[in-house]
Amino acid sequence: MAGEVPAPAEYTVSGLAVPESIELLHDVLAEARADHPSLSEGDMSMIEMAIIEIAGNVVQHAPPGLTVVYTFVLDVHDDRLVGVLSHSGPEVEVADDPEMPDDLMAESGRGLALAEAALDELRHEFTDDQNVWTLVRRREVARA
Amino acid sequence: MEIDTSDVRGKVAVVRLDGRLNMVAAPRLKGAIEDLVDHGGTHVVVDLTAVTFMDSSGLGALIAALKKARQAQGDLRIAGVNEQVATVLKLTNLDRVLRPFESVEAAADGW
Repeated sequence: MAGEVPAPAEYTVSGLAVPESIELLHDVLAEARADHPSLSEGDMSMIEMAIIEIAGNVVQHAPPGLTVVYTFVLDVHDDRLVGVLSHSGPEVEVADDPEMPDDLMAESGRGLALAEAALDELRHEFTDDQNVWTLVRRREVARA
Repeated sequence: MEIDTSDVRGKVAVVRLDGRLNMVAAPRLKGAIEDLVDHGGTHVVVDLTAVTFMDSSGLGALIAALKKARQAQGDLRIAGVNEQVATVLKLTNLDRVLRPFESVEAAADGW
């Protein structure tokens, strides 16, 4: 049967929670973008910003000497993008409503607030010894 | 990310970046600018034209570099931001501290 093969709707990547593996997340998002031309620059930019901030947070707070492994799954739906980042390690303490630092000259502390601002929904759960972050971004086409 | 610090004219140093300014590149950028400032390049323009993505680590490195330049009676300005970088600056309110200039020349004007 001839015909177009539909683009996959799900993308998965796994790696160690180390700075270098952040690039894998950029790459998988670029792959999804290439497969789905209808994804807008704004939507991809926002979900990319959010996942990179959360993964960066996981890398920064990984306990010294402990190997932390993550898996990221991106689901492309017609009306939304859903990313799920699961990782090992102790339960992460997450503020209910992360805020930007009061000090504009602070050099850190903006990651989670930035991720939350880029998304419509950000959830963290600790289940089966895994931290599970769920990121939801409604697509621009669904906002019209 | 590529970090080019070869363009130094007296106290004005232009730092050209190419690639993703994330947690891998941020410590290198911070170190490179600190080194420039220590060697007299106290007025720094960071050219972000070829930066495709910036996260809060990259932003933190720019803030650290800005503080370093100001401690040396200099300053740091940014030029050529794309939409993603502009969004990060806006969402963090840091566009008030790091106001983007259209070009390196415009950023260095008056120095």
